[in-house]
Amino acid sequence: MTMLDAIATDLVLLAKPALFNIYFAIASIPVGFVFAIFMALGKGSSNPLISRLCRGYIYAFRGSPFFIQLFMFYSLALAFNLSVWKPLGIDWIVLNPLILGPAVLALNTTAYTANILHGALMTVPRGEVEAARAFGMSRAQQFRAVIWPNVIRIAWPAYTNEVVFMFHATALVYLTLPVINDQKDLMNKAGELFERDFNAFLHYPVAALYFLAISATIFFVFGRVYRHLMRHLPKPPAMRFSPRWMR
Amino acid sequence: MVDLLPQWLQDFLGQDVLFWLGYFTNGKHLSWYASVQYTLAAGVLGAVVALALGTLAAAGRNSRFSPARLVGGIYTTVLPGIPDVLFFLFFPLAFEQGMEWLRAQAVCSPIELASGQWPPCTAANLLLGTSEYLILAGVSLGIVYGAFAGNVISGAMNAVPRGQLEAARAFGLSPWQVMTRIHIRQMWVYALPGLSNVWMLLFKSTSLLSLLQISDMVLWADRLGAPNFTRSAGLVHPDWRWGYYLVLLVFYILITFISEKVFAALTRWAGRGMATAGAV
Repeated sequence: MTMLDAIATDLVLLAKPALFNIYFAIASIPVGFVFAIFMALGKGSSNPLISRLCRGYIYAFRGSPFFIQLFMFYSLALAFNLSVWKPLGIDWIVLNPLILGPAVLALNTTAYTANILHGALMTVPRGEVEAARAFGMSRAQQFRAVIWPNVIRIAWPAYTNEVVFMFHATALVYLTLPVINDQKDLMNKAGELFERDFNAFLHYPVAALYFLAISATIFFVFGRVYRHLMRHLPKPPAMRFSPRWMR
Repeated sequence: MVDLLPQWLQDFLGQDVLFWLGYFTNGKHLSWYASVQYTLAAGVLGAVVALALGTLAAAGRNSRFSPARLVGGIYTTVLPGIPDVLFFLFFPLAFEQGMEWLRAQAVCSPIELASGQWPPCTAANLLLGTSEYLILAGVSLGIVYGAFAGNVISGAMNAVPRGQLEAARAFGLSPWQVMTRIHIRQMWVYALPGLSNVWMLLFKSTSLLSLLQISDMVLWADRLGAPNFTRSAGLVHPDWRWGYYLVLLVFYILITFISEKVFAALTRWAGRGMATAGAV
């Protein structure tokens, strides 16, 4: 039973650190989603300047590692601390990992989500948009009644993956930014526990268990939302459990 | 390095340019440029391992033997559910401890083994160097992204039209010939876009090497950019790290750009003679 006890102890110890990962995800993903809608519309814009800028932003953030983006924004925050942030009196905002972390995460997820939404925007059936225009709908009405419902349904499965990846990316935040007092996340806490007794086979898998459980929850919730979005379509046949050990 | 330039070129460039040329080619900067090899090596090793494991996993998932299906299925569904950085830190540690445990069984006395200390005795300690860690890093990246590659490849194997395989069988090709000449030959067209994504993810993860104490580009950028203060010269330069990280960002974006071009060419090559929508 000692092993089960050890796992249970670790599960309890890692519960609070898991909240920090969840906080990073919740603080960044909705903000990134809203920005991404504008970024996706910008990428599809007919104005070449706006389109180029959005394309460049998306390419730069998708083409480089999040780990280095974090490092760069943190060192930018540090380098301009004395000359800019301190005089403005906002250094406690800029240098706070609980604000800087989600901010960089949001910038990153904006790019990935915008790419997904833009891809969906390009596959909205042309006929539906033309029908909306024929009805005399304004641009805003077209977007709200025709384009957006299509976009969100097409993009949802890919966006689910992006949210899970974003949650995984929160593991990197505290490997870069300074940890204040006991505000450790899963990776920090697992590392700290490992340095205490060098038992890599216990602490890291338990941390992985948390990530797995939360990822599974995200998939479940987003799957439910997808079913709700697709409720107007005939239901796919229910899964049948019929194991065949040898095909 | 600057002294090697001919005199007329030195005169032409002027003192300022020469100073900066000298600064960016000093020993530390040269070590920084050289450390690109670790990143590239880990990326290439990771890609090879990922492709091999991905193929195995796809074969396992489509196998007729249920344990193989189970192992392939668990591998390709569980590993994408945990962050790459976690596995990247866990695997080298676990591997090292496993090897140390094996060594301890051989070299430590029974009393030391029973003491419950880790490591049981100092003789069992393994001291791994940069190259060993580099290999471990590459392999752990390969294991993580092999699961992604397995999903891509098994999807691509199922995407090959059944009629193609039936036609090949009707022509009297042996099962092996059907697999290599028709099935795998056509699979690439469907797999390459996904594999391209996996490669980009894998290469971006090579930025984590510094977490395993490998002095890669990221560690050097941190060292070179940190505010540099010497007693004789005073503050040589303030915090320049963001500039160095910006260079790293540009490096990764360039690699992404090149990879895109290479994969586009590969897709065109793999799809030659096939009647797909993307064919020219």
